[in-house]
Parts: sequence; C-alpha cells; structure tokens
Amino acid sequence: MPYSDTVWSVVMLNVNELSKNYGDFVAVDRISFSAGKGQIFGLLGPNGAGKSTTINCIAGLLKPTSGHAAVAGHDVVSDGKAARGNLGVVPQELALYEDLPAVENLRFWGKAYGLGGPALEQRVTEVLEYIGLNDRAKDLPKEFSGGMKRRLNFGCGIVHRPPVILLDEPTVGVDPQSRARLFDMVEAERDAGACILYTTHYMEEAERLCDSLAIIDHGKLIAQGTVEELRAKLGAHDVLQLSGHFPVESTKQAIAALIERGNADLEFLAQEEDSITLTLSNASQHLPAIFEAVTGTGGNVTETSLRSANLETLFLLLTGKELRE
Amino acid sequence: MTFALTSFKKDIARWRQDYLATLIWISIPLMTGGLITTLMGSDVKPHGTLLLVDQDQTFLSELIVGAYSAGELGELLSVEETGFDEGLERVNNGEASGLLIIPEGFATAFMESEPVTLVLRTNPSQTILPGIIQNVTEILLDAGFYAHQLFSDEIETLTSMTDDPSDAQVAAIAVAIQNKMESVAPKLFPPVIEIEIIEPPPAEPSQPLALLFMPGIILMAVLFSANGLAGDFWREREQGTLRRIVFSPARISEFLAGKALAATVVIGIVGGITLVLGFLYHGIAWSKLPASLIWIAVSGVALFAWFAALQMLFSNRKTASVFSMMLVFPLLMAGGSFFPLAVMPGWIAAIGRLSPNGFMAGQLTTQITASTAWAIGLQGWLIVITGAVAGLAICAWRLRAGFARA
Repeated sequence: MPYSDTVWSVVMLNVNELSKNYGDFVAVDRISFSAGKGQIFGLLGPNGAGKSTTINCIAGLLKPTSGHAAVAGHDVVSDGKAARGNLGVVPQELALYEDLPAVENLRFWGKAYGLGGPALEQRVTEVLEYIGLNDRAKDLPKEFSGGMKRRLNFGCGIVHRPPVILLDEPTVGVDPQSRARLFDMVEAERDAGACILYTTHYMEEAERLCDSLAIIDHGKLIAQGTVEELRAKLGAHDVLQLSGHFPVESTKQAIAALIERGNADLEFLAQEEDSITLTLSNASQHLPAIFEAVTGTGGNVTETSLRSANLETLFLLLTGKELRE
Repeated sequence: MTFALTSFKKDIARWRQDYLATLIWISIPLMTGGLITTLMGSDVKPHGTLLLVDQDQTFLSELIVGAYSAGELGELLSVEETGFDEGLERVNNGEASGLLIIPEGFATAFMESEPVTLVLRTNPSQTILPGIIQNVTEILLDAGFYAHQLFSDEIETLTSMTDDPSDAQVAAIAVAIQNKMESVAPKLFPPVIEIEIIEPPPAEPSQPLALLFMPGIILMAVLFSANGLAGDFWREREQGTLRRIVFSPARISEFLAGKALAATVVIGIVGGITLVLGFLYHGIAWSKLPASLIWIAVSGVALFAWFAALQMLFSNRKTASVFSMMLVFPLLMAGGSFFPLAVMPGWIAAIGRLSPNGFMAGQLTTQITASTAWAIGLQGWLIVITGAVAGLAICAWRLRAGFARA
C-alpha cells in the first residue's frame, strides 16, 4: 500500500493484513493497525494471543506469511535494513551482556545501529542518566537488581534514538518502583516524538499509557480504537460479580428470564461453579431482583462485588474470558 | 567492517572478565605436560647407589670396587663403601640400589680356587639399577673364572711365594702374562668371525620424547580454548543478545567475523603462552616462534568454527556442551596430546594424524623440529585455512537459518 510523504510524517508504524502461520496453526490472522509520531499504541491480549509474534514480524525476526508491515515507510521485508534502523526493540526477555559493563552494553548497541564518535558518547551519557544508572555505569549487569537490568534493557533499545519503539511486555516481573520508572521513561520517549508499540496483558498499564489500543485474541484483532472509544462501547455499565455456589443451567435460565422481563442491558459475562459475572447499567438498583433470581434456583451468594466497567470488562465481554487467563 | 571491530572489542572485553576459564585452559595442559614429561619424557639418566662392604681389603677386592665405578657404569652408579650393619640398614630402608658384601679371605680363596661367596642384596622397590648391578657382578665373576684358567701358572707362582716377590720375579710373571695375552689376542680382539659392515642410511636425528609431547600439549590448550569460546554462541542466544543483533541493522557476517577475530586472538594468547614455555623448556630457536604462533592461532580459529557449528546444530545448550566435551577427549587421545603420535603403533598413529588436532600437532612438530624458521608447507596452511573458512561459513548459515532468532 503506497503512502505519501505527508501521511508518513504522521504514521510511523503501519501493519496491514499481517498474518503469520505455523503450518495449520494461525498465530496472527490478518491484523491491521497503524500508529503515529508521538503516540503510544497498545496491543493487548492474554498470553499466546499473538502479540509477540506480531512484534517479531515487525522487528524482522519472523517473516510474515502474508500482509505487510512498514516502519517509517520502510517495508520490513523488502527494505528490512532501513526498517530495522528506524526501530528500537525492547524485548520481553532481557537481552544484555551480563559480563560487559553497563556503559559498554549501551556503546555496543549504539554502534550496532550505526552510532559512533562523540554523538555516541553523548547519547550514552544521556541514556545512563535517563535510566538512572550513571553511578553504576562501569558495573556489570550481573551485579544489578532485576529492576536495574530492566532499565538497562530499555536503555539499550532506545540508545540510537529510534523513531519507532517496540516494547514487548516490558514490565513483566518488575517491582512497582521500577515499573513506575519505566512508565515515566516510556512517556518521556513519547513526548520526545517517538511512536511506541506497547504490548501488555495488564489492562491498567494500557489505560494509563496508551493513546489508542487494539485488543488481540487467538491472533485476531477483536477491538480497536482510543481508550475513550473503547470505553464508550461499554456505555455506563457496571460489572457485578457474585461469588458463592450456583447451579449452572438453572442460573443461566433465571438470568435470561430477567433480561426478558425488561432488563435489556443486562448481559451475562461469565459463569463458573463459584462465581457469576454480569454487566448492566445502574446495577445497585437491580440487585434485589438479581439476588432473588439467583437464590431462587438454589444458588447461594456469599460475596458481592460491584465496580465500574473498564477495558478488562470489554475484553471479558468480547472474549468471555479474563485477560490474564 | 566497522561493526566487526566493535564485535571483536566486545568479545575481548567479555573474555577479560572470564580470567578463570583462561587459567583452566592454560593450566590443565601445562600440568598434564609437566606430569608426562616428568614421568616419561625426562632425558635425565637414572642414578643409583651401590653400597659396598669390603671385608677383604685386598688388591682383588679393590679391583671389583673399581669395576663398578669405571666407564659408563660409573655414570649410573655411585659406589659407597660402608660398614655391614649400616649398609644393611640403608638398603633395607630403600636408600640404595644394592649392597655387595666381599667377605674376608675372598682374594686368597680366588687365588687358590677355593669356593667363596659374594653376597649381593638388592633393593626390591627398584627394577632397573639392581638388575644392572646383578648382571655386572655375574660378568665380573665370569671374567675372574676365565682369568683364573688362563693365568693359573702365574697365580700358582704368586701364591706359592712366602716372601714378597723380587723385581725379577715380578718382571718374569709380567712377561709371562704378556705372552699369554698376545697369544690369545687374535682370538679375542678382533673376533674370529669376519663381519661385513654395511653402512646404514643416515637416520634422522631422534628427538627427545618430551619434545615430541610438546605439540600435543599445546594443541590441548588450543582445543580447550576453542571449545570454550565456541560455547559463547549458546551463551549469547540464552541471554537474548543474538536476537537483539537480528533486530538491529548490523550484519550477522560482521558480528561473526568479530567473534572469530576475538577467538583467534584469545587462542593465540592461550596457545602462545604454552608455546613460549615449551620453547624455553626445550631451548628451541626463537626464529621458529612466529610461524608456530600463527599456525596455532589459525588452527585454533578453525577448531573454534567447527566446534561452534556443531554446537549450533543441537536444540539446547546442555546437549551441545556435553557432546562437545565428549568430542574433545577422544580427539585429545587420538591427536597425540597424551601419547605422541611418534610413539604410537603405526596404525593408531595413522588414524591420529587424520584427526584435526593430530594433523595440526604433526605440522607443529615439523615446525619446531625442522632446521628452518618456516617449515610448514603451503599445503598444510591451505588445509587449515580452508577448514577455518568452511567452519565459519557453516556458523553463518546456522545463525541466519534460525539459531539467532530462536
């Protein structure tokens, strides 16, 4: 798909009908999205949804089965070297030389992206300060804490000042303090004009950081838009979770009867042996009717939880399962 | 090629952190070489002590003492006269190779053809020197018997004298002995059998055993370091840096070139240290060092490349590492690191020379024993350089074919 220079000045990352198959297994199924300069685009989904496969296709690690991806106007397959040159990747797993001082790690990865001379030295100094490791610059990463390693891992991905950054679940296994620091760094890169693709299965991270989102499950995009647009899809719904013991079929029938009796916006999200999750507007007003319906089937409610709907609810609504399953 | 230099510097900096591995690569071959040289390869002749209790104290007994100290036997044995009790105690304590007791009246008995017993007690904890002492004693006794037969008249004349012989009597006996010696000389010197002496073709000068061990020991250090460095591809894969290289615009071929260059330098240093120690120990001409050093560095990078290529064929690091180590020890055995090819049975040596390190050690032997500074032929250089290039090409293929992406 050709793009004019004007369009590319805004759209830095474009994924178009991208698919990746492993034999009969479809890991990524014709997904399309785009992200612009100074924007954080979130790719949300549970483990195994296809997020990392998508990232690996964009980064040039995997060749797409079909479709295209372009970074700053460079196709990742036909113009791979230029695409990779505009890309900074912060992989999910640490990718550091544990036996090379932190400053040497940054220098090495800077040189791998073509930096050199005073420009490299200046940038390395900046990044060390930025990731809070300037006082540990000459220490080996194997002596660092997990959070410090994560920060260095991030620094190595952005040392060449890439216009497009891929962050693959950067907060997995990170303590709250380091997580907050990483959020600050991501936002600072965004403010400096970078286009960021951020994958996560933590909905609260996506809600805090991302300007727009795509939700992916089983390799398919099931929803896409800004955080506000996606929230709007939920309307003013609440999420009601009842815990206890419930007979499956008769409880479903009782809830269906409630819907037929005029509770049109009541939706059944999920049911297990020990919990029922429902979504509806003004849930507090309907609680007595719902309790009556559920206990009438022989169910026993031991705990009630009522909260406003969020992106997690949307994911539950769209897929019928929790994001972290 | 700028990134190749960056990759090289990075690996050298990482290698400097891992000084313990380098110490092991050097110390194991040196310890092995030292032990083997001490046990088998030393050029020092064995030397022992013969304790002698001379209770006779006559001219004849002193003649026997002198026989043990004369000529090449004197280089093997120190003869010490001692008392009976002390001598017995010392030989029982293993402080001497043997104890020879010449009893009182030995000379008289010999002259008068009467039975007499020499007592020889040997040290059971030694094998070679006591055997030599026993054989020499038996030869001396045989020689005494024949001398007695040959000069029986003169001995009888001497023993029948009651007073010291006059000068005229001594002269007469000496002349008689001289005449008998002259009469038997043609039969004894030279032997009556005529021997046609055929000059053998000039043999190559034999090399000391310890010198023949040296190339195998150096190749042991090279093999250890090449195998250890080859494992770095798996280390890089497990720490995610190989994937990160693929993410970057840097070329895999330059990354590999830098790694190979670093391996060449590290193996050159490790092998170079063992090489210099070998040159010092054996007093090899320093003019042969440059070619030897380049040879082991190039050989090392070839071994590094093949070990790396093999390790990258396996699906996990543990299997790759175990297989690699399992390969190293048979190679060391076959390639002459524990037994020089020169002392192996012919067919085993032929197989050993076909092993990569056996070939490399053989060429190094040629280099250090030849009279010229550059003795390895063009064919040898071509084989090892081709091997290195082929191994690196396989490594590049494996890295691109998915090893780096996993």
